[in-house]
Order: sequence, then C-alpha cells, then structure tokens
Amino acid sequence: MSKPRKHDSSKITRPPESYEPWESHNRIPLPVIWIALALGIWGTAMLFEDQTSYTVAQSAREAGEVMAHDAPEGGEALFLANCSTCHQPNGAGVRLAVPPLEGSEFAKAGPEVVARIMLRGIDGPIRVKGFTYDGHMPSFAAALSDSEIAEVAGFVAARFGGNAAELAPGAVAGLRGAAAGKDSWQGGAELATLVADLPPQPAMRAGSEADIDPAISDLIFAGKGDVWACTSCHGGLGQGVENTPRLAGLSGGYLAGQLRDFRDGARYNEHMAFVAKGLSDPEIDGLARYYAGLRVASTAAPSLGGDLARGEEIALHGDWPRGIPACFSCHGPSGFGVAPDFPALAAQQPAYIASQLAAWAGGHRNNSPLGLMDQISAAMSEGDRRAVADYLATLPAVPAVGPDAIAQLEGSDDGQ
Amino acid sequence: MNRYLPLVVVALGILAFATLMLVIAPGIQMAQRSVPEGLRPYSEQEQRGRDQYVSLGCVYCHSQQPRAPEQAPDGERGWGRPSVAGDYVYDRPHQLGTMRTGPDILNVGARLPSESWHLTHLYQPRAIFDWSIMPAYPYLFEEKPEAAPGDTVVVLPEGFGPASGVVIARPEALDLTAYLLSLDRTYPVPEDALRDDGYARKEDGL
Repeated sequence: MSKPRKHDSSKITRPPESYEPWESHNRIPLPVIWIALALGIWGTAMLFEDQTSYTVAQSAREAGEVMAHDAPEGGEALFLANCSTCHQPNGAGVRLAVPPLEGSEFAKAGPEVVARIMLRGIDGPIRVKGFTYDGHMPSFAAALSDSEIAEVAGFVAARFGGNAAELAPGAVAGLRGAAAGKDSWQGGAELATLVADLPPQPAMRAGSEADIDPAISDLIFAGKGDVWACTSCHGGLGQGVENTPRLAGLSGGYLAGQLRDFRDGARYNEHMAFVAKGLSDPEIDGLARYYAGLRVASTAAPSLGGDLARGEEIALHGDWPRGIPACFSCHGPSGFGVAPDFPALAAQQPAYIASQLAAWAGGHRNNSPLGLMDQISAAMSEGDRRAVADYLATLPAVPAVGPDAIAQLEGSDDGQ
Repeated sequence: MNRYLPLVVVALGILAFATLMLVIAPGIQMAQRSVPEGLRPYSEQEQRGRDQYVSLGCVYCHSQQPRAPEQAPDGERGWGRPSVAGDYVYDRPHQLGTMRTGPDILNVGARLPSESWHLTHLYQPRAIFDWSIMPAYPYLFEEKPEAAPGDTVVVLPEGFGPASGVVIARPEALDLTAYLLSLDRTYPVPEDALRDDGYARKEDGL
C-alpha cells in the first residue's frame, strides 16, 4: 500500500518550505450541531429525572418516619398494634397458651397494674380466670413511651376490666423508675403481691438452670482447635448482628435441626458447614440447649428501608391473592415461634431475615419442612421481603428479658 | 497554527467548568454535611491495616459502597444499608472500588465480626469456601513449631495448615483484620446525609 503512494508523492510538486497549512473558516456541519443539541437536551432531562428520584426517595423516607414516630394513635390502635397478636383483638387470648384479658383479674385491678405488668413482662406460671398459663410476656418498657403505655393500660383496664380509672403519663414515668433494674414478674406468685384478692396462684417453679457443660462452654466462647467460637460471630449473648442471626431464645429443636442440616449439607452455608462438620450429636444438643435458654434484649432495628405498614400487614394477615400466608399463622402469635419447626421471628436481625427469604426464593436454602418457605418467599416481592424483615425487627424479643442480660449487652458494646 | 488564543481560552474554559461542576460544587455540597455520629476515625492499628488494604489492591475486587434497593439487592445480600457521603469522611484515599468480583465490604466488620474467621479466610479462603477465587495471603502469616505467648494462632481445618506446627498471624495480618473489623457503617444515617437516590421510583400500589 505504502510503496505506490510514495511513488505517487514524488510526482506531486512539493509546496515551498515556508508553507503553513491553514483552513478557511468553515461552518460547523449541521449534523454535529444537532448531535450536540440532542446531548444537551438528554443531559438536562437526566438531571430532572434524577431530581424526581430524589423527591420520591425523600418523601418515602419522610412517610416512613411519620409512620415510625406517631404510628397508631389512641389506646385501641396501640393495643391492636402491640397486644392483639397474642391476646387477640377481642382480648379473649388463646386457649391454654395466652391468658385472656377480657374479664381477667389483672385488667379489673386497674390501669396501674396493667402498666406495671407491661413495663416488666411476665415469666412463669400464672392463673387467670380459672386456667393456668405458663408462657412469657415480653417487656414493653423499651418499645413504648410513657404516654403510650398509659394509653394502652387505660384502654385495657377500661375495655376488658371495666375499670375506668385514669392513668397519667407522669405516673407511668414513676412506675418505670420503680421497675427499672428489675427482672420480669415471676409468674402469678409475684403478681399476687401487687393485686389484692387474686385467686390462688401456682407456685413459681424452682430455678432449673443447670450449669452449662464446660466442654460446650468452651465451644461457645473459645472455639475448638479448628473452629471459631460461636460468640465471635453471633455475639457474646447470641444476639446476632446484620446477617448473622440472633440465636438467643430460638427453640432448641430448631437450633439442633439446623446444626445437623449444616453438618449434613442439607442447609448450605460455608461458614456454618465449616463449624458444624466437627460437631457431635451431644455437642449439638448442648449448644441448642444453651442458646434456647438465653434471654437477651432485642438488638434488631429496622435497617432495610422496608415499608413497616406493609410488613405488619403481611406478618399479621398475609397477602392471599399472591399466595403469601400470614407469618404468624405458623410462627406463632407475635412471631414467638412454634417449636420445633417454626423458629421465633420476633427481634430477629432484619438483614438475616431478608437474606434468608431471598435464599429460599432463589433456591439456595431448601431445608424448610414441606418446602413451605420456598413457595412463600418466591411469592414475595423484593420490597415485601424487606418490609417483613424490618417489621419483625420492631417486635420485642421473646422470651422476656432480664435486666442482667441488658446490662451485659450494653457493657459488651464497647468490647466488640 | 492560527487562532491559538481562542483555542486555549475555550479549552481552559471547558476545564474550569468541569472542575467547578465535578470537583468544587460536590466538595462544597459534602463539606456542608455533618459527620455521622456513629462514625469514629480509624485507630493507628486500623490505619496501618488500611494501608495494607490499599497496598494489597483489595479495591480491585471489593467495592465499599452498598447500593440502595432500587439499584441493587445489596440489603438482601446482607451488605448493609446504602452508604452516604458522610460514611467516607475518614477514608483517604477512598476505596470505593468499581469491581464486585468479591462482595462489597463496607460493613464486613458488622456482618463478620469474628477476628479468627478473618485470619482463617486471609490465610486460605478455600478453607471456608471451596469455590472462592480470592487469592490467599500466606505471607501475612508465619509457620512456627509452637505458639509463643501472645501469638495469635490461626484456626485451620485439617489439610490446610502445615504438616506440623501452627500458623501465627504476623502484625500485618492483625492490622488488616483490625481494619476489616472497623468497617461497620450500620449506625443510623444523619438527617442531612447526602444520599444517592438514583432510580428511586414510586412503587406500584402506593
């Protein structure tokens, strides 16, 4: 190619040495102007579109804040939002599981008693309207403000106990001070000191907390030769963080089942497979027993920007047109969990819940009984999964939490 | 060359305009925002670890910028809330990264808070994930016949450690781990935070 051209150029007369190339003043070609103009318009449009995105996101955030701050108003709305998942909207409770409020001796005793119970929660056997219940009521001290507790207590006493006494938010502040640093009420036996004329209450069972096996304790706090300590990821009290789940208070059967699934490969997670592959059956049972008995305050808070109202809707009622049943229909009222197959969801870390739902939907986790969660998760949109996870994080931890655990947890914040 | 002056003037003008819009204006915008309350400066050890992070080129595979749900499902991946400008106040040079060959690690200290996990993983990622393509960093560690007091022994499954003796973390590995554990931007976002809201759309049915 280049050779003939060289040959040609020799024939052309060379310009003089002093020649400076120049170009006459030509107009910019029209297409170039059009392209520049189009780019400019496109850029401006993008700028405005970006502004729309900002407005949408900002209004969504503000709506979320409004919802979080002054969500339900009035005692009834607060009752429906916080209490009715267990005690039922009509206050009838759940037979043999959750004591009724309707006509209960404690509601009749007035709003002050109700507020005191709400501030500390109950742990242990209690006799209400002739039946004995042995469950856990979480403390609402952290979840509700003084005025909210006053409103709910007033509503419960008036509606279910027929006791129309008023309770001022200032009085709740006093009760809160009195309840500070105290463990949950030890069943009906301790509550009998609060309410006069109670029918005989069952005795509190003796503390049966067996000392934890030193071998298990080593496993939890120090790890073995080739595995990490449980606490190094799940936190000193099994409270979990981000997508490391909260273990405290999950049922022993569920925990042991999951550990076996990790070990056998039925549930796939590299970290847990690494840890579980060396565990013997007695070790798994010991670990499950330890974490099932732990009581730790909730450290979860909504963090995924989910729509809390939508999350509550799904948790309480589901979305049947899409094939999503209510979470609580299997996982128990208020997400307490139903042993052994349905783990507690209340106070679970939102990032963990969302990632597990995504894992089921995507087929990465498939050890759910009958494949239930696979179908449910797949039916949920990405926004729904975040909404549910965030809503569950707002629920109080179950079982109720003692002040020791809270103190330990607050102390451990700096240590980590 | 003729018309030298207008050419230079226009070129400098374009440069000045770009600097104004891409450097000065965002700088002013960011300087007005408060530093998030939950964010603390890196400690000396964490800063040394950060220098390790930079020199090892971690940024070529790991980003440090979780995105909003409209942009990517990072929340569901467990990578944390979308980051805001204030999260990077102490990051010089920033390590935002563009590649996600590995996961985003702006919140790795929150989601993987275990020091011994990180040491195992840095020594040999395949000990945990048999499919991992992350390089191993054995030169941050040393093999010893026996651990001396004060040594940090790396937890290793059978077959990944030396035939005899133990693997000890060098200070470099401990610094890097300290830096990784300090990566925790899970504190609440300040009110006036500068966010990236791109692609936010009104959801259906709202």
